[in-house]
Amino acid sequence: MSVTRRSFLSAAGASSAALFLAACGGSGSGDANGAGGTEAAPSAGSSIGVMLYTNVMSLDTDLATDGDSFEVIADCIDGLTQMDKDGAAVPALAEKIEASDDGMTYTFTLRDAKWSNGDPVTANDFVFAWRRICKNAGEYAYMMDEIANIKGAAAIVSGDEKDETTLAVTAKDDKTLVVELEVPVPFFESLMYFPTFYPINEAFYTSLDDGTYGTSPETFLSCGAFKLDSYTPGTASLSVVKNPDYWDADSVVLQGINYQVVGSSDNALTAFKSNSLDVVMISGNQVASAEEDADLKDKLEVTGAGYMWYLTFSQTKKNAEGGMLANEKLRLAISNAIDREALVDNYVMDGSIATYTAVPPQFATNANTGEDFSADQEQFSDFIGYDVARAQEFYEQAKKDLGKDTFTFTMIYGNNEGDEVAKVAQAIKEQVEGNLAGVTLNLQPMTKAERLDKMQNDNYDVALTRWGPDYADPMTYLGMWITNNSNNYGFWSDEEYDKLIADCTTGAYVSDYDARWSAMLDAETLVMEQAVIAPLYTKANANLINPAVQGIEFHPVALNRVYKRTSVA
Amino acid sequence: MAQTTYVPVAGDFELIADHDITTDKNFASQSYWKGVAIHFFRNRRAVVGLVLVLAIILLAILGPVVSPYAYDQIIRDPANEAVVAKGIAPPGAQEGPFAGQLFLFGTDDLGRDLWTRTWQGARISLIIAFVTIFIDMIIGMSYGLISGYFGGMVDNIMQRVVEVANSVPRLVIVSVLAIFMPKGMGLVIVALLLTEWIGMSKIARAEMLKMKEQEYVLASRTLGARSMHIIFKQILPNTIGPIITQMMFSIPTAIFTEAFLSFVGVGIVLPQCSIGSLIESGFNNITTLPYQILPPIIVLALQMLGFNFIGDGFREALAPKLEDM
Amino acid sequence: MAKYILKRVGLALLTLFIIIFVLFVLVRIMPGNPFPSERMSADQIANKRAEMGLDDPILVQFGRYFVNLLHGDFGKGTSLYYGAPINTVLSTCISNSFRIGGLAILEGAAVGLLLGITAALNKGRFLDSFCTVFSILGVCVPGYVFLIFLQYFFSYRIPFFPYFFDPNRFMFSAILPSLSLSLFTMSTVARFTRNEMVEVMDSDYVRLAESKGMTGSLLVRRHILRNALIPIVTVLGPLIVDLLTGALVVEKIYGINGIGKLMVDAIAGEGVDYNYVLALGILYSALYIGIMLVVDILYGVIDPRIRVASSGEGD
Repeated sequence: MSVTRRSFLSAAGASSAALFLAACGGSGSGDANGAGGTEAAPSAGSSIGVMLYTNVMSLDTDLATDGDSFEVIADCIDGLTQMDKDGAAVPALAEKIEASDDGMTYTFTLRDAKWSNGDPVTANDFVFAWRRICKNAGEYAYMMDEIANIKGAAAIVSGDEKDETTLAVTAKDDKTLVVELEVPVPFFESLMYFPTFYPINEAFYTSLDDGTYGTSPETFLSCGAFKLDSYTPGTASLSVVKNPDYWDADSVVLQGINYQVVGSSDNALTAFKSNSLDVVMISGNQVASAEEDADLKDKLEVTGAGYMWYLTFSQTKKNAEGGMLANEKLRLAISNAIDREALVDNYVMDGSIATYTAVPPQFATNANTGEDFSADQEQFSDFIGYDVARAQEFYEQAKKDLGKDTFTFTMIYGNNEGDEVAKVAQAIKEQVEGNLAGVTLNLQPMTKAERLDKMQNDNYDVALTRWGPDYADPMTYLGMWITNNSNNYGFWSDEEYDKLIADCTTGAYVSDYDARWSAMLDAETLVMEQAVIAPLYTKANANLINPAVQGIEFHPVALNRVYKRTSVA
Repeated sequence: MAQTTYVPVAGDFELIADHDITTDKNFASQSYWKGVAIHFFRNRRAVVGLVLVLAIILLAILGPVVSPYAYDQIIRDPANEAVVAKGIAPPGAQEGPFAGQLFLFGTDDLGRDLWTRTWQGARISLIIAFVTIFIDMIIGMSYGLISGYFGGMVDNIMQRVVEVANSVPRLVIVSVLAIFMPKGMGLVIVALLLTEWIGMSKIARAEMLKMKEQEYVLASRTLGARSMHIIFKQILPNTIGPIITQMMFSIPTAIFTEAFLSFVGVGIVLPQCSIGSLIESGFNNITTLPYQILPPIIVLALQMLGFNFIGDGFREALAPKLEDM
Repeated sequence: MAKYILKRVGLALLTLFIIIFVLFVLVRIMPGNPFPSERMSADQIANKRAEMGLDDPILVQFGRYFVNLLHGDFGKGTSLYYGAPINTVLSTCISNSFRIGGLAILEGAAVGLLLGITAALNKGRFLDSFCTVFSILGVCVPGYVFLIFLQYFFSYRIPFFPYFFDPNRFMFSAILPSLSLSLFTMSTVARFTRNEMVEVMDSDYVRLAESKGMTGSLLVRRHILRNALIPIVTVLGPLIVDLLTGALVVEKIYGINGIGKLMVDAIAGEGVDYNYVLALGILYSALYIGIMLVVDILYGVIDPRIRVASSGEGD
């Protein structure tokens, strides 16, 4: 408890100092420590050691797809906006943001910021980077067309339009960027802190050999709080150091971050105890043992990781013994036979929370009321919860409907997606088989790539899968279950649902915030009533943090960790 | 009248090739295997090894049977809470509803009895190891002996085949195999079969290269023995020593490879377990809950020790010339 | 001898070509997707496949790949370290794995030979048993368990060695991983050395040499060791390949970017990266074939009878 309060206070203190400095136009370096609070001024060489889960795959915003890569990119490059400690968007490289009255045109006025080679950051750097993302049409290109709804993006991403200059993003002059949208996007400003929307210095990029951008400190330019110090693709350790030319350099106290990829939770715990790393993430039994350790207990901080684990059921004829799982009652029976509290308490153990809503809690708040979209986990208690009697009732109905009383399904899960996944899969098997006599759930482990392949090609019965929010709006989940969406792994289709979602994304509700919000709740209700998916738990990270390190900001969405206002005592 | 002349008839002579010319009957009557057994049991280390291996095999058969729990049973206390291993101590041993119960090795992360799982795992691993090593020995040994004996072009082609087979990374082979057959013990065995025979064939070939120029081979050949007869009946028994040594080394390799395959997701399918997969899951808690990895590691180590002692014993007993002179 | 070597090299290159082709075909039927994606549309994926030429006939693809390969270009990853040329990534990983693996071989072979010779010379006595049990234990305990043990005691309890691999202090931080990797080699070499030496020591020619009055180190070196070395060289060959091509778990624990982890990432990471799997497979094969070639030629050097026999029949 004390930990959370302490870090909250220090984060608040540090960020208010940052805001104060930002208001002063970033001048007056002498004020930084004074305003920063009571902690002693950090020594000149203070940098911290931080654990990464996986190798940084790419520092190119066009190619990066994993959270660890995004984190390092965000250390080094700023967006038009940036996350404050609560996850709200605050202007960063953009000094001023103007939206037209219809919400379809955004005009960003850039501040005087410099790349680490001395070039100024210009509006053209954004135009270049965004066009490139649309043209290359990689994993996150969908942020440009489906999510941000930038005019012209969809045609370029799908390959129908070969000329990427048709993207409606223009540099009016060096300091003015104009973006036109197809429809109003209520959360557009908060998208701008997502790395896909970061700038790239065009002149620098084109001066490099093909494929070498972002493969070493020499081939990477930074305009953010830190700059790349050592990195090579595939490395297990890399480091960033403070960027003295950063526009807000005065509010950055930390001298650098040394990242280290750590393979297992057990190894992470020992690395932390040996003081090799200041920030590590642990899970499972290591959390339990840290909680029993008087010394470590105070250093444990649980933060939301955002993504939700859930079960998806194939509803087509070719799977699950000829489409047995197309029966809603059977899906409801399985969903009600799972003890989610036991899953998180006994097997995940890192503070993850049992989830009973299709949109997980903690990441999407109503801009008007400030209320979490999924604060009420009881709202669908008629359809989901651990209730063996009700599960068996559903099961009896399903057996009658289907005229069968034994079912054998195969559940696929990824064996390279974290230690707890295999445990959870086995526990679900035991619970479902124990509570629903006649159901056999065989387990089939495979790599994540193979799992996705099977799910996308509808070649599975039940799958244990996850989804993390890309932006702070319930639509990042609800958008998945419309007919023919590539993430609609159950191949479920419901006209009413499709209409609700269409109204929220491109139709009647786009400019009516409250109506949109309640329509999304209606849509979620449909998903839950029919048990299209069985939500399981929302993942958390159990961090061990050296008490000397203050003010790391954790977010469940977009950027998991932000160090701009971090200090070392 | 005593016969003074003898007229040979057709039945007096037979073609030598129609007979088994392996052994001299005078020697054979002294029972070769009896001698081996005597030598083997006179060797104290070999006996210790035999006892170890037999004990482990016995426990692997009986362990899961005498245990009150199934290997995949998540044990629950009267409040229906799973007896999950958390924190530092193995649960169940001290107090609470399981105070009277004995979890000899503690419970695992899911609340399953580790005693039962260890022996279940030993059983699976032994099956995998025996089946693959036995088949591999037959394939690898024949391959190596034939390749080495004929030499020249035959050897060249056969060795290139070995290189091709050995050069394709095991993970690639297993991933491709997994398309054609379900994951589990069968896949592990086939995957091991495809790669493990190579080491055996190398040893056999090297031995053959040493043996084939020796006088007794030449003598056999002069007597008209066919190549296959020389290879399998005459040279093979003389190469058995290094091959048995190699076999004993192949067993840990088989078990480790199986563990590695579990690690990459093509090994034993949970909740089934093997020594390798138990080590794998204990490894996640190696400093936090060291008691979880200890039983499988110790069983593995004792097993290896046993196999190696037996191997040594056999080798020495099969070639008593080394010991007796 | 020169002709023999030349012929072997030619054959090795031919084998390598066959392997590359087999690998190329196998990789393309592996399960999983070279462009793993949860966010791309079917159109996007189709465009990417077309861009990479994955829809062309397989022989066309192979031809293109092979031509690039002859230019020393492995291409780019499809799901791993996406943008970067494979050569860049590979060179760092190879350098790490080779150096650590090489160290492990030296340590393992040196200690193994020493143990094996000691055991053989003291056959049946305490030292023999000690060396045997010691070397058996080395095969029983997986190398990574040993590394965890070393890391726990010598980086954490007594913080002398770095807890993670540090490329800037290579030798110092290579000690723990190479030691733990050398364990298996050490045991194998020790066991084989002992057994072979014992056998050789009982042979007639050694007996003869002894009866002539030859003793001590000269006997061991000139007669015993030389003859015992043949099977040891055979065993050592594949071990060298295994060690050089990295050890997944050890690399993972100690934070080394080596080939072992790269291979697993390429196959069981986010997606199946055709180009990385191929590049690593080719590297592995080339190494294996190269080392086997050296072993074969070494046979000839150690035991001239083999050379005569095989070259004689081969012609």
